[in-house]
Amino acid sequence: MNRRTFLKALGATGVTATVAGQFVINRSTGEAGAPHAAGVVRKGETWVPTVCYQCPGGCGILARVVEGKAVKLEGNPQHPINERRLCPKGQSALQILYNPDRLQHPLRRAGARGEGRWQEITWEEAMAEVISRLKTIRDQGEPHTVAIMHGRLRGEMEGLIHRFLEAYGSPNDISSASLGRQTAKVAHLLTQGIEDLMAYDLENANYLLSFGGSLLEAGGPPMRVVGAYGQIRRGRPNRAKIVTVDPRFSITAAKSDEWVPIVPGTDAALALGLANAIIQMGAYDKDFVANYTFGFEDWTDEGGQKHKGFKTLVLEEYPAKKVSEITGVPVANISRLAAEFATNKPALAINPDRGALHASLGGSYTGAAIHSLNALVGNLDRPGGVMVQRYPLCVPWPDTQMDETARKGLRQPRIDGAGSKRFPLANSIYQTVARNSWEGNPYPLRALLLYYTNPVFSSPQGQEFVAAFQKMDFIVDFSPFFSDSNQYADLILPDHTFFERYENDLPPAGTGYPVVGLRQPVVEPLYNTRHTGDVLLQVAQGLGGGVAGSFPWKNFVEILQFRLSKLGVSWEELRKTGVWAKPLYPFTSPTDSRWHSVVGTDRRYAPKDGRFDFYMRELKGLFEKKGITEADLAGMNISARGDLVYLPHYEAPHRTGDATEYPLLLNTYKLMTHAEGKGGNVPGLQEMLGLHVGVKWQTWAEINPQTAHKLGIKEGDMVWVESPQGRIKVRAKLYAGARPDMVNIPFEQGHAAGGRWAQSRGANPNTIIPSVTEALAGSAAFTSFGVKVYRA
Amino acid sequence: MTRWGMVIDLDKCVACQGCTAACRAENNVPFQGPEGTAQGRAMFWNEVIPVVEGEYPDVKARFFPRPCMHCERPPCVFVCPVGATYQDEDGVVRQNYSRCIGCRFCTVACPYGVRYFNWFKPNFPEPMVAYTNPDPEVPVRPKGIVEKCVFCIQRINKAKEKAAAEGRELKDGDIAPACVQTCTGRARYFGDLDNPDSTVSRLVKSTRAFRLLEELGTHPKVYYLMEG
Repeated sequence: MNRRTFLKALGATGVTATVAGQFVINRSTGEAGAPHAAGVVRKGETWVPTVCYQCPGGCGILARVVEGKAVKLEGNPQHPINERRLCPKGQSALQILYNPDRLQHPLRRAGARGEGRWQEITWEEAMAEVISRLKTIRDQGEPHTVAIMHGRLRGEMEGLIHRFLEAYGSPNDISSASLGRQTAKVAHLLTQGIEDLMAYDLENANYLLSFGGSLLEAGGPPMRVVGAYGQIRRGRPNRAKIVTVDPRFSITAAKSDEWVPIVPGTDAALALGLANAIIQMGAYDKDFVANYTFGFEDWTDEGGQKHKGFKTLVLEEYPAKKVSEITGVPVANISRLAAEFATNKPALAINPDRGALHASLGGSYTGAAIHSLNALVGNLDRPGGVMVQRYPLCVPWPDTQMDETARKGLRQPRIDGAGSKRFPLANSIYQTVARNSWEGNPYPLRALLLYYTNPVFSSPQGQEFVAAFQKMDFIVDFSPFFSDSNQYADLILPDHTFFERYENDLPPAGTGYPVVGLRQPVVEPLYNTRHTGDVLLQVAQGLGGGVAGSFPWKNFVEILQFRLSKLGVSWEELRKTGVWAKPLYPFTSPTDSRWHSVVGTDRRYAPKDGRFDFYMRELKGLFEKKGITEADLAGMNISARGDLVYLPHYEAPHRTGDATEYPLLLNTYKLMTHAEGKGGNVPGLQEMLGLHVGVKWQTWAEINPQTAHKLGIKEGDMVWVESPQGRIKVRAKLYAGARPDMVNIPFEQGHAAGGRWAQSRGANPNTIIPSVTEALAGSAAFTSFGVKVYRA
Repeated sequence: MTRWGMVIDLDKCVACQGCTAACRAENNVPFQGPEGTAQGRAMFWNEVIPVVEGEYPDVKARFFPRPCMHCERPPCVFVCPVGATYQDEDGVVRQNYSRCIGCRFCTVACPYGVRYFNWFKPNFPEPMVAYTNPDPEVPVRPKGIVEKCVFCIQRINKAKEKAAAEGRELKDGDIAPACVQTCTGRARYFGDLDNPDSTVSRLVKSTRAFRLLEELGTHPKVYYLMEG
């Protein structure tokens, strides 16, 4: 019987049918003698749909599970974000599940904080301790001194954590958004009135002008953007032009048609310089600008006061020559780019999550300036234009039961200063927590819960957190791994990895239409770990009263089933497909009544009149409401005065470090192989880390060859990169794609803890970056920091 | 006859290295760690090769994903003294791991550098051994022998057997090696070069098509499509 007839006889219907097969790993017998037929259709092979967690993209995964072990991951072909594809982070993700350095039990600190001595305890002991500590603080009337800092909150975990704090009585729900995402959201709120990242209809655009942020490597969500890239390049008759504005020659820049190496932190000037040229050419969408925007022309308010409009501003302030001096982009290129942008319709100006918007203390204005280009050419909510992300309709959470203690706690100001007069538009300011708590400004934190976040590593001047931790009574961490931060925790309550838990996952803005993926266990939990959602529910029950009353669910899965019950797809069906989507984006037009769902929706202090704001009425309204006057602006590092404050404009970067002593600028960036500070202990990613410079397993600094020559640095030398904050030792890579006045260092390495492959490897540039916070969005700035480089 | 071939469109490739990672996961290629990598002993059946040219600000970079070329006239096969490497009936250059004596003639003969010698014992520290692919075509290779890209022969076999079980002929697009399936820019194509209707046959006729080091007369069955 040959193989073909054998299988026919068996009546096998596909790869999931069953034939016995026993295989031993590490066999050296070779393939020749191996029984192919038995290997193809294996006993107990299944494909389980789930959702990736290696970055915020939310790609669908199909996991190949053989005899209870996950052996390979593929992209879920039904998931609209990635459509069968997976990036290297996803492809390497089983090294997270089967990582030898996972935490296997709850741990209690046995030595001093940071000493790294731990005692294994039971979940019962751990829960009892958490409940009693949190209960004591609450009973003493100080629930606001408990904070939760979190990184990647997906689906209902976001609502759960927020609700937990609300019922408990703390305003301190602190996300890592101020290290990325937050600025773009604020910029879009102030202009378009939508507080979200924007979805871009890349596939149908003819011209992409991408500002910083490495669109193809770290854009959002990466698999959607990269898929669209392939489509733009070869999937249609005309090949859109892609222009990347970035101080560094990234892989995205290499794959673009044109790279614009801009002086870091000056993107706003370039965007407004382009607007200037477009207006001068008369090439803007006059109908759209006249009828559906506000503040383009000069205007007079109800009180009869005259105000300057966008047109006057850019014509007066941003002539090509001046912009060229600021940005380093030649005058001829500015007018050519402007002409290309205005005439290759539809053209998109793309705001990054991070990149250019975190390059100066005027990030929100930069984002507004960039986004204004889209309105100038009328490219909102039409094919090839800016789309507004829609989300699936979930059943609303019932009202939280708030007792008097909770209400009193919630009236307290936030520890991070978000929403205060100083940072009026911030929802959360990650990097200020350490200093504020340490200084007791406005009060010291007594307890801190850390969920999927590592502030000691991820925050600029993260070492400040180490000092702040020492003053806190109680720190709990929920990570499945050791981290730089949980070395200082009192308890570590290890979560499942994402291959062992249930969670819904709403991808960030990208498709435009609503998508929800379901993360579900592909294997039984390997160790004695627990879903943090379940742990929090149990803590809530233990706290009793209104906190317990706010959580009538037995476990996290019940919350999921409740919230998703009106989705129009059954739980069983969702488990089978792993994703639900409504794959049609409802484009509107300004004359359509639905236009109000894409412009102005999230405004609180300005009219929801369907007009795109060149003059940011939302900001003006907010300042009036909060009583922010011209006198406050200096303290907010805003140099503009008068109407300029409410118009997109260029704020010169605040350079730190004396220019003579620290002549170079430090630029940090993300790689495709970089899983947001969580890839350090994935050996597969370490082994292909820096493709463009050929560096693996370590940290490097990209230095322009001519600069290096002047400094006497040769390829591969170990060098010190020093700022006034400190110095790090890295390997020098001479890279023609580095500006002569800059040094580029990627994030990823330099962990003090986190497993055998992450630990004590390379250096973390965050340690030499000063902690500087942008005024409006409260985001951390990452560029324009002076450094010097010398041989080690 | 069947002649398996691959086309990689460099215009769609974004050098993400998804192919590299997928290949390593599918084919049980162990990582070598920092020391092994520093010694140049990391193994990538499919590696992305960067070429950065020019001076600031006129810089260009190109990236070539490089699997085995599965040459029609494979130098590695000619030099193997023990017949461990051979071309199968579909033109795939394969490696018989139990025959290989680790002499490394082939690693020297191959002009594309696709052949890797196992300098170390395969490293899958517990419990990572759990995720190794159990397919018998890709056993974990021991120290002392050479390994290389085999166009995911296990997937070719599975597709053939699936078609057979369904009582039909193999169709174009039935087979996706791990790198092709995961390709984020959808830049890679796999199929039968002898089938005039296959996607790869159509693409290799493009004016953008070229092969690496064609002048050596190896006749690779991996084609690239130029950028731009």
